[in-house]
Amino acid sequence: MALLLAAAALPQGSVDFSAGQMRIDSKERRVHLDGEVKIVRGDLTVTGDHAVAFYAAQQKKALGTSVGGQSIDRFTVDGHVHVQRAARTGEGEHGDLNMVEQTMVLTGAPEAPPVLREGDETLSGDRILFHLDNDDVDVQKPRLVLRRAMPDEKAPVPMRVEATSLMVQKARQVAHFAGNVVVHREDMIVKSPRMDAIYDKDGQLTRLELRGGVDLREGDRRATGENADYDARTRIVVLTGDPRLYDRGDMLTGDRIDMALASKDVHIERVRGRVRPDAHKDETEAPR
Amino acid sequence: MEAPDLSLRGVAFARLSEGRVVARGTFESVGYVRPGGRLTALRGAASLEPEPGTPFDSWGTVHVVAPSTTGELAAQRFTATGGVRMNAARGDSAVTERVRYDGTAGSVESDTPLDAQGPGYRLHGNGLLARTDGSSIAITGGVTGSMELEARQ
Repeated sequence: MALLLAAAALPQGSVDFSAGQMRIDSKERRVHLDGEVKIVRGDLTVTGDHAVAFYAAQQKKALGTSVGGQSIDRFTVDGHVHVQRAARTGEGEHGDLNMVEQTMVLTGAPEAPPVLREGDETLSGDRILFHLDNDDVDVQKPRLVLRRAMPDEKAPVPMRVEATSLMVQKARQVAHFAGNVVVHREDMIVKSPRMDAIYDKDGQLTRLELRGGVDLREGDRRATGENADYDARTRIVVLTGDPRLYDRGDMLTGDRIDMALASKDVHIERVRGRVRPDAHKDETEAPR
Repeated sequence: MEAPDLSLRGVAFARLSEGRVVARGTFESVGYVRPGGRLTALRGAASLEPEPGTPFDSWGTVHVVAPSTTGELAAQRFTATGGVRMNAARGDSAVTERVRYDGTAGSVESDTPLDAQGPGYRLHGNGLLARTDGSSIAITGGVTGSMELEARQ
């Protein structure tokens, strides 16, 4: 996932800005920027219709009302907010840039949620939090779309992932999805309470680890298990923890079920189960 | 230009408010026309003492120089031109070609490009609209600059 690949922490110092108008509200200790606002800090650029710069809270007490002479610790940006950092871009209706905590929060409206893009990948959610110092990302109600072609595919097949929350940890090259995780890819739907997506240093997905009860449906087949591990290179899903395979009347179980997504082959260790050949009498062999 | 009724050279002035000197300064020359109380002054320099407790208080003494100043004493309206410069004890400074002051309205305006800098900020704008009590200062017509960030804890 390229969203894992981004720049390093923002440098200390000052922030550059431009706007149509600047208004200093000394009583409220804020600076209002209006009209085509642009805020630049290192490799981070934030644009929007309006912005408010807030003087550092501790200096408010020390200086009382004052014009200038104070440092800024936070910006809010509203209206057509656009964030750019290296190849990563974000969009939303409201942004909150906290320079002390080195975070940027993007929010939007239900009909226009905030979006994070990098290359062909799109991540949206109710709330997107960027950690600018380590490039981690926390997302509430994430909706992720991956459009990368697998090694044996000519055209990329979109894979959509939804969950209650997402935490991307760049240093560990892992994305933690939690809460009602649902993965859609072609006619396959996988549900699980938790899923970790593991990436290599180039941001390529290498492995999915689903835990806490997995339900996989693909066409007429359904597989369940306590855990599932997906190897992106071999495209094999391994179900463990009382794994079961249901296929038009058949029910197979074993110590472990390996499902090859490309070939539809299934390998079951220490298999037990119930097979109903009459349910498959009209089937022809699937092309390999 | 109307001939002045009164021409002065080497003028020094002071303005008092509630028993304290709030401004003092000099002009190389002042021409005063009695009708309308109009004056034209050249090479002015003034030191202003911000009122305690106001937002400008933190600036300390403010020094302003202007090559040329015209205005109406009774209406308290003046326009300084030719490159107006301001320096404050705190380290703030600003320069613009022309500034209008309206004492009755309590406002300072400029419609010419403005450069200002000081502790924690630097900016360039194309106009200024400010209240003399510091309650509101707007840089208009497009503004660019930088603001100092709070150090990360």
